[in-house]
Amino acid sequence: MSKRSILLVEDNPDDVELTLRALKKNNIANEVIVANDGVEALDYLFGTGAYAGRDVNTIPEVVLLDLKLPKIDGLEVLERLRKDERTKIAPVVILTSSKEEQDLVRSYKLGANSYIRKPVDFTQFSEAVRQLGLYWLVLNEPAP
Amino acid sequence: MKDDDKTKEQLDELAKLRENEQKYYNLFDNASDAIITIDLEDTITLWNRGAEKLFGWTRHEALGKKLPDLIIPPDLRDERDKIIRDALAGKEITGIETHRLRKDGSRVDVSLTFSPIKDANQNIIGLSGIIRDITEHKQIDKKIKELNEELKQKVVETESVNRELEAFSYSVSHDLRAPLRSIDGFSQALLEDYADKLDLQGMDYLQRVRAASQRMAQLIDDMLMLSRVTRHEMKRSNIDLSALATTIAAEMAKIQQLQRRVDFIIAPGLVVNGDAELLRAMLENLLGNAWKFTSKHQSARIEFGVTQYDGKYVYFVKDDGVGFEMTYADKLFQAFQRLHSVSEFPGTGIGLAIVKRIIHRHGGNIWAESEIGKGATFYFNF
Repeated sequence: MSKRSILLVEDNPDDVELTLRALKKNNIANEVIVANDGVEALDYLFGTGAYAGRDVNTIPEVVLLDLKLPKIDGLEVLERLRKDERTKIAPVVILTSSKEEQDLVRSYKLGANSYIRKPVDFTQFSEAVRQLGLYWLVLNEPAP
Repeated sequence: MKDDDKTKEQLDELAKLRENEQKYYNLFDNASDAIITIDLEDTITLWNRGAEKLFGWTRHEALGKKLPDLIIPPDLRDERDKIIRDALAGKEITGIETHRLRKDGSRVDVSLTFSPIKDANQNIIGLSGIIRDITEHKQIDKKIKELNEELKQKVVETESVNRELEAFSYSVSHDLRAPLRSIDGFSQALLEDYADKLDLQGMDYLQRVRAASQRMAQLIDDMLMLSRVTRHEMKRSNIDLSALATTIAAEMAKIQQLQRRVDFIIAPGLVVNGDAELLRAMLENLLGNAWKFTSKHQSARIEFGVTQYDGKYVYFVKDDGVGFEMTYADKLFQAFQRLHSVSEFPGTGIGLAIVKRIIHRHGGNIWAESEIGKGATFYFNF
């Protein structure tokens, strides 16, 4: 059985690079699709735009979603994918800079599965990614 | 004899009536309100001293004159005619607020109370009116309205400042940390991937870059924490500070592996009205400081209680740690001001700024007393 992909929604190229590095360091070998803004993320999930024709029945094993994004922000991406039957059950981990209460509350209200604040210390960040991978890609049994 | 008796009886009666009349006249004349009577032709028939004082017309000048000519402003004649008609029709006229004229032409705010005067056959023969000067009352009313407006304006301003602060904090929280992650992350990447190309000094420099970016991240977090105290919406209830202090002390002892003896002496039953979350943060910081600044002693004594200070009851947190020089006492509570280096005692200098802000939000005050090497005591009230 081939591993399902990880969708990384992140606009900052440095953060993309560091997240990929952390995944690699922790031997997480799933394919990572990078969406640079909310529109790209929705295009991937719903097979539109640049991803027209993609088999949308394959949902990512986990969506790593930043909140502050160009065009369509993370919360709106979350809201839209929770409203759609096809993506309703996709695990979404908010991976962002802030731990402002309003962000946390809104994320959970919109149906986020988990909320991780990216630490500045890369060692801690890498550890967070390791645990995240262990939980969502190994321990967690995804919906069929 | 009988006739004489009768006459005497009548005379006594008359004297009694006179006496009564005099009594009522005095009441009428000495009343602080203006009291006026008019007949059905609007001719003034009584004018007390209150009326003289309020309108400036003496009794001599007023009696026999037509009332409207003296005190009714021309633009209020219609209103006045209606009030008179209502009074004559038997309607109760009490506390009607309007204006009247003074002799010098100025207007005065008054409240009117009217009642009809009847003769022995119950025919209305005139009206009596009590006119009260409500200038002061009106001014107070106006002042209250002004203050209310001012307050509303202040609330709007505060709300707008708070919204701005909220937006600012939000942006700081999101945008200021991202570059630090790059600095730290790629420094670490250099250390890992290019270790063979770096000498010890090069690696040391990169470690310093990482340490500095992490410290800056801590400073940003502390700044946000401080602003959160300001933005936090207060929910007041009765809080048992003694119980809270006991819990916090137990938590600290559990987290920090105890290689020294720390005695907590917490006075029981100290209950205040305040915000649970903020008061917890306050005690955590004060007790945490006491813990930190006694850490170089083999044994420590940390006290939380209540005492008298300048004749008033105040709370205190007292330790027997390193203390500080009183010269710097005012610097203690400023954000990011420290009296010790980071290598001596860790921290960013935000804790006491947070404590002070929390106590201020509860309407209280905090100050400290200390001597180098002899511990410190923080006093506060609400």
